[in-house]
Amino acid sequence: MRYSPLTTKFNAFIFALAALLLFAGCRGAGAPAQKDGDAGSRRSFTDGLGRAVSIAPNPQRVISLAPNLTEILFALGLESRIVGVTSYCDFPEAATTKEKVGDTLQPNLEKIISLKPDLVVVSTSSQLENLMRRLDQLAIPVYVTNPRAVREVAASIRSMGEVTGTSERARDLAGEMESRIDAVERRVRGLPRPSVLYVLQTGPLITAGRNTFINDLINIAGGKSISGDETADYPQFSRETVVARAPEVIVAPSSHGVEFVKESDLRRDFATTPAIRSNRIVWVTPDLVDRPGPRIVEGLEQLAKGLHQE
Amino acid sequence: MYIMKTETLIGQGKSYLTVRRALIVISVLLLALLGFAVAALSLGSEHVAAGQLFPALISKLIGTASPLSREQDVIIFSLRLPRIAMAIGVGAALAVAGAGFQALLRNPLADPYVLGVSGGAALGSITAIIFASGLSYSRPLFGFAGAAIATLIVYRLGKREDDPAHLVLAGVVMSTFLSSVIVLMTAMTDNVKLRNITLWLLGDLSSGAVEGLIFVLIAVAVGAAILVTQSRALNLMMIGERDAFAMGVETARVRWVVHLTASLLTGAAVSAGGAIGYVGLVTPHLARLAAGSDNRLVIPASAIGGALMVLIADTIARTALAPRELPTGAITALIGAPVFVYLLLKSRK
Repeated sequence: MRYSPLTTKFNAFIFALAALLLFAGCRGAGAPAQKDGDAGSRRSFTDGLGRAVSIAPNPQRVISLAPNLTEILFALGLESRIVGVTSYCDFPEAATTKEKVGDTLQPNLEKIISLKPDLVVVSTSSQLENLMRRLDQLAIPVYVTNPRAVREVAASIRSMGEVTGTSERARDLAGEMESRIDAVERRVRGLPRPSVLYVLQTGPLITAGRNTFINDLINIAGGKSISGDETADYPQFSRETVVARAPEVIVAPSSHGVEFVKESDLRRDFATTPAIRSNRIVWVTPDLVDRPGPRIVEGLEQLAKGLHQE
Repeated sequence: MYIMKTETLIGQGKSYLTVRRALIVISVLLLALLGFAVAALSLGSEHVAAGQLFPALISKLIGTASPLSREQDVIIFSLRLPRIAMAIGVGAALAVAGAGFQALLRNPLADPYVLGVSGGAALGSITAIIFASGLSYSRPLFGFAGAAIATLIVYRLGKREDDPAHLVLAGVVMSTFLSSVIVLMTAMTDNVKLRNITLWLLGDLSSGAVEGLIFVLIAVAVGAAILVTQSRALNLMMIGERDAFAMGVETARVRWVVHLTASLLTGAAVSAGGAIGYVGLVTPHLARLAAGSDNRLVIPASAIGGALMVLIADTIARTALAPRELPTGAITALIGAPVFVYLLLKSRK
């Protein structure tokens, strides 16, 4: 006699209660409350991975797990609400004084939990699946935004604005970025598109493939990458092919500290290419071109200027 | 009686080493190497017709106008040829070092990797990448130093008894210790540096400068010559060091000379081409299967065989997915491991 009438009635009661709560919850999401810190009135957002994430309005304790997101948070004026960043987050200067929760690839879960965040923002999701699952179990909201192209950065900033309750400021920032991207596109329209070799490092030679951020930057800046049809993101690339494809410009990140791209190697191996013969090696600031954050437009402008010198 | 023992050990299923057999083995290997080198020269991500290759080579030698375009000339003579030479040099160095260690330790598992010598060279080179990348020649110099220090420590730890297993054990401890130091170092440096190091660790023959190449080739020539002069003594020491000592071999000196030479060869190879595995382990075995176990033949045969193995592996690495390139070390392991297992099973029958 396990199913007594009493327990059945009790179950029905629980069901009714759950249905009622669910209904109330849906109404809550439909009409978001604007009160500060009201945990009961969380809003649901769809993040970059298509997950539904329920976040309290105006989160007060935010942890950023990527340098580009830290830059976005700062640009949105949220400095005082950031409680944790990664060891790679070095811009703006104030970010370096924030509590560190490990690096982008290996954040420290215990540290994150101890900081009691009400929002964790993540940029690269693939390596962090395990961490995200654990945070989900602890009901700590994880919002993923992973811009894969230059224009997606503006969209990413807008969504970060909505999530953190700074939509207006985010709209202004994104709008300004877009108009600067438009300006670059207008400037290079009609100009010849130089072929570009982008060098990440020379020992072995690593370049950027089709679906990378840097390839998008090169295209918008009015160039054409000689490795732009590679399906791998960062392939080890044949020097012979570089010589045969004869790039007109070589673009490389300038070193800070460690020299990954040896200029002497480029000049030795690619001496016959138009780029070396006309001495067109363009050095770009690595943080400006490989962080999908607010400063990406500066990187784009730097690159466009380098590709179209008068 | 000792001589009898030596003969049975050295003879192992093969007839005695004669000048004729040595000449046959060496010339067959050299011809194979030459053939593969020419084939490798005509293969690559950028096609140059084989028919154009010989006229180009000849015009290069006698200094007339090349039939190749300027780009093709650079591809063949500035990129492909030095890379082939680098593969030959690195392969020969690793295989000769392996042959030296195996003979000295009477242990088929001995090889620069097992003994931690490669680990020392890799750690030295990585230290150079992280802390002294601005310094020219820092990589080969640090690599040499790392290999030599690792050898000295392993030698001190393992020499106590006249028992080769002791030394191999010390080497295993050394190499696991060194690889954890490397992991620690890469974990402490940032993302970008890590990428550079891990790729280089898998073996990269594409980025060597001419100076590095000359370095490796000289090291191979000198190192192989030194080991050949010690090969008679090594043959006798294969029976047992005490027996060899009784027969007038200066075993202590031979051990020092072979150890240092083999570690210098490893240092040169690793600092120039990264950590390319399996060559030092597999090649001397192949050489013994083909030519018997007399070190006078095993050492030069290993040199040519190792060159051949790395040359083939590297040609696959740069053509299989062209214009993408693969790490050469992954290919040597892919070829080396099955070949080794096959030969092991076959020789047991």
